[in-house]
Amino acid sequence: MALQRDNLWYKDAVIYQLHVRTFCDSNADGIGDFAGLTRRLDYLQGLGITAIWLLPFYPSPLRDDGYDIADYTSVHSSYGTLDDFKTFLEAAHSRGIRVIIEMVLNHTSDQHPWFKESRSSRDNPKRDWYVWSETDTGYQGVPIVFVDTETSNWAWDPISKSYYWHRFFSHQPDLNYDNPAVFEAVWDVMKFWLDIGVDGFRLDAVAFLVEREGTLCENLPETHAVIREIRKRLDISYPSTMLLAEANQWPADVRAYFGDGDEFHAAFHFPLMPRMFMAVKLEDRKPIIEILEQTPEIPETAQWFIFLRNHDELTLEMVTDIERDYMYDEYATDKTMRINRGIRRRLAPMMNNDRRRIELLNGLLMSMPGTPIVYYGDEIAMGDNIYLGDRNGVRTPMQWNSSLNAGFSSADPERLYAPVISNAVYGYQAVNVDAQTRSEHSLLLWMKSLIKVRNAFRVFGRGTMQFLTPSNHRVLAYVRQFEGQTVLVVNNLSNSAQAVELDVQRYKGYVPIEMFGRNLFPRFGNLPYLLTLGPYQFYWFQLRRL
Amino acid sequence: MRETILQALEQVYSNLVHMVAEFLPRFLVMLIIIAIGLLVAFIFKQMLRALLGLTKIDRVSEEAGASRFLRMAHLPAMSELLSRSIFWVTWLCFVLVGLSVLGVAGLQEQISRLFRFLPEIFVAIVILFLGAVIANFLSRTALLAAVNAGVRSARILSWSIRFVIWILAITMALEELGVARQTVVAAFSIVFGAAMLGLAIAFGLGGQDLARRSLERHLGDTKTENDKEPQPL
Amino acid sequence: MNVGEVDLLVGVSSRDAADTITHALGAIEQSFQQYFVRQRVVIVVVGSGDKDKRDGILEAASSAPSTRNPRQPGITSLRTIHRVTADFSSPPPPGVALRTVLAAADLLRARACAVLPPAANLSPSAVANLLKPAYHENFDFVAPLYKRHKFQGLLARNLLYPMSRAVFGCSIRELYSDEWGFSGRLASLCLNQDVWQEEAIRARPEAWMAISAIASDLRCCQTYLGEKSQPPTVAGSDIVEVLRQTVGNLFWCLEGNQSLWLDSQRSQEVPTFGPAHELTSETTELDPHRMFEMFRSGVTELEPILTVVLDPDTLVEIKNIVALPEGQFRFRPDLWVRTVYDFASSYHHAVINRAHLVQAFAPFYRGMTNSFLIEHSDSSPAEMEAASEMLCAEFELQKPYLRERWKANVEVKS
Repeated sequence: MALQRDNLWYKDAVIYQLHVRTFCDSNADGIGDFAGLTRRLDYLQGLGITAIWLLPFYPSPLRDDGYDIADYTSVHSSYGTLDDFKTFLEAAHSRGIRVIIEMVLNHTSDQHPWFKESRSSRDNPKRDWYVWSETDTGYQGVPIVFVDTETSNWAWDPISKSYYWHRFFSHQPDLNYDNPAVFEAVWDVMKFWLDIGVDGFRLDAVAFLVEREGTLCENLPETHAVIREIRKRLDISYPSTMLLAEANQWPADVRAYFGDGDEFHAAFHFPLMPRMFMAVKLEDRKPIIEILEQTPEIPETAQWFIFLRNHDELTLEMVTDIERDYMYDEYATDKTMRINRGIRRRLAPMMNNDRRRIELLNGLLMSMPGTPIVYYGDEIAMGDNIYLGDRNGVRTPMQWNSSLNAGFSSADPERLYAPVISNAVYGYQAVNVDAQTRSEHSLLLWMKSLIKVRNAFRVFGRGTMQFLTPSNHRVLAYVRQFEGQTVLVVNNLSNSAQAVELDVQRYKGYVPIEMFGRNLFPRFGNLPYLLTLGPYQFYWFQLRRL
Repeated sequence: MRETILQALEQVYSNLVHMVAEFLPRFLVMLIIIAIGLLVAFIFKQMLRALLGLTKIDRVSEEAGASRFLRMAHLPAMSELLSRSIFWVTWLCFVLVGLSVLGVAGLQEQISRLFRFLPEIFVAIVILFLGAVIANFLSRTALLAAVNAGVRSARILSWSIRFVIWILAITMALEELGVARQTVVAAFSIVFGAAMLGLAIAFGLGGQDLARRSLERHLGDTKTENDKEPQPL
Repeated sequence: MNVGEVDLLVGVSSRDAADTITHALGAIEQSFQQYFVRQRVVIVVVGSGDKDKRDGILEAASSAPSTRNPRQPGITSLRTIHRVTADFSSPPPPGVALRTVLAAADLLRARACAVLPPAANLSPSAVANLLKPAYHENFDFVAPLYKRHKFQGLLARNLLYPMSRAVFGCSIRELYSDEWGFSGRLASLCLNQDVWQEEAIRARPEAWMAISAIASDLRCCQTYLGEKSQPPTVAGSDIVEVLRQTVGNLFWCLEGNQSLWLDSQRSQEVPTFGPAHELTSETTELDPHRMFEMFRSGVTELEPILTVVLDPDTLVEIKNIVALPEGQFRFRPDLWVRTVYDFASSYHHAVINRAHLVQAFAPFYRGMTNSFLIEHSDSSPAEMEAASEMLCAEFELQKPYLRERWKANVEVKS
């Protein structure tokens, strides 16, 4: 099964997010690698996902989860070689799975040869590749991102005896995009990976590329110009490549990064995610409707990417203080579950392992407008380990079976990059791919069928969305429509049975077909359509004239 | 002679015996009827008492002010009064029926006359009673309304209303009894007219106040007397 | 009514007050958004006859655009705020409206409820203050407290409060008001009582509710609401009507809850949230002279009735003070209390029609008010409170007298 030619592939995709370190270890060193990942591609193909988003795998001192890149054109030795990567990529493509990789444009590691050269002397040709200053007083008023660890955006370089600019950690100097040579060098890096065959880039920290005095040095027009240039070159030479923006901002602000369809192809819809969790806890559709009504229109070719959980904390930046307190109180009662402004837990533990709620949230994710991202392990309801530092609690080894190290690695358990989950509820003995493949009722098999239904209908990725507003606010109902396809989704957000009367006057005469079993429901007539739903139950109906 | 006397005595004796023989069973029948009547009347009384207890008639009569009237007349409570009257009426009927069995000439006719007149007397009593109750109630209503509206000579108003209703009730009762119909109607007309005139004069004097304030209120001078009182709640 | 279980329920009676209900609904919503962002809430509008008009109002209120700015976490509620209307062909009396609200509270298993008038100056904080004690502190009846003019609410001050406090042992200052809060527990309890056809309940259900709470050993409290909101239809203008609705109602409650006070004594601490009863004293235009005149003429004219209602000794004393010149006239507390107790027990024995009995009380209220206005024309709030406490003590002291008169067999008077 080869890749289909479709430049809009990212609209219909179901993306699987993973870190190569966490997935499968082929050489018994306790760290996952590309060879291992390649071995597990059949599993991913079976799941039905159509793209993989890989977290950074570049050589790096790993002081910022690999986002401090020391070499843009190679693979970290723990994860294998560049050839291993090429093998993996080819194997993925042959299974119809595309690959999206991380690209950090804003900064490099201070271990990157470019920076080493740049700091070596004030007259080095690469001196201008970074932002240097004699004083630490430039760009006053620019906020500091990591306030816990950094006191200034300027850091003193003892070698060249001057200050360099960094928006993130002090070991991550910012590249100087006012220097055309930098842009060309970065483009060369992208070209390198494109020529190997990657299908898309997730561009990290795009808002901070260019600095200007007197501004907050964020979202500047010059930054947009850089992105437009990248997009222009991509469209000419690599038209099926996708650019995904990382911008944890309100949709109205992110909107600028879609340009007129000439900047990013896709961006994350950050505020929707906490509101899906909130809606289920509140048993009220209000948060979801409210945020989607505030979401601006985006260009034809652009797409929102939506997710439930990812490798970071469940971020609560994009909620009000009241909403954040509520989320904390409901989902992170234990203070150790909180980090920065978010919750460092996985989906299943947050849902108290309630299968019905996990299914409902996945059902929402797969039916909302946008491209869904599944975080590795969530398809089998993996647990987390909140006693590991930082966000490592949600980055434990994938649980393949009940054998040693959950089948992740044959190394000694002590050698693993992180201990596997082994508690009574979420431990690998109980929660693993093998067990769930054999159990007909497992979440894994259910997820497969869900993704299969989604993949069969383009309307989910590309369709318009229109809310129905029945008087029962515990029921969230919407109609998705694309070309000839019409789908009605009805979700019971509550823990009790609900009845709802839907106003389907517009679709009078249509027959709703339940999409998982292809069962016909009574035809829509003049009266409001009565549906009853069990706790956390949802229906997907294809509406057809029969 | 002796023979004749003896014969006569014998005749008298046999007549007497005959009469006694004839009367005694009737008398016994009468006694039995009266006794049964006593029993039936007692049962009626108990039944009515239970029934009235269920309908809470005492509460109603108290609310309507009838009880006070009864107390004033040293009568028992409403339910007791009604059940006692049913007892006596029932028993009286039985006694009269019993008496008629005796077959005493003349008595029969008197009794049937009484029977014919009984309902009219009863209705007249009821009319008078209701009249008293209504008069009492309405006169008090008027008195309280007038006092609380600050009307002077409230009591005259109250008394006039009571008087008029009494007159009306008495007239109706007499009419019912059929006593001198013409005279009664004429008398009533005269008294009623006089009462109305009196009322009109009383209102003319006492109601000035009321009329003035009512006018003030309607003509938009919202500053009524009540506004000068503090808000009670 | 597809609302499901709720935490908070607020009932508003629309009372044909089309213009003010819009404001009231807004204030209630704002209160939810400010103080109860997480709670499941519903507003029950008990509707008047004019359906079209009211629907228009509700539509306008509900379709108000969301002014919320996502970047400025302003006033918002996490959940949908529901509005439910209950239709009546004509404006229902308060008791019927309350029953509707109670039925809704029972159905939706509300934890805390409040009943509010469609007042134009209803404030969000007042709504919250009524709901909070029941929701957070598990109180079952929440009575309001107001800031008011010192000569306002004299009926409450001189009769309703001290008498209910003495009889039921529960010191709720504003037993009769248009707004109060209650728990879902009390709502269910009251709903299941067979009293809803009673005229007293239809007209004024709130005191009965408070007393029901006391009778069931549920907890009462008071909460400060600030200025008293004036409902659009002021029933306060007709003193006789007010007496019928309050004094008559209190006597009725006495009768219905004899077991509570006649042979036993209980008392309940009533905590107060917020500042206590506040008094202001700007000058107002009052006419004590007329009140005295009405008292004097009332006692004189009503004598035949009063001989039946009052104890002979009380009547003699009343006649004595009536005979005093206006300047020297004072209604002594002990005589006032005895008069009130005489009326209460005569109400119980129904010596005359009960409506008449309450009407006959009006002159005495005016007399007392006159006496009070003159005595306290220059009093400070503290002095007035002290006097109020003394009156309460007097009511308490003479309670045996009330019990004795209450239990006495009615003698026939002619």
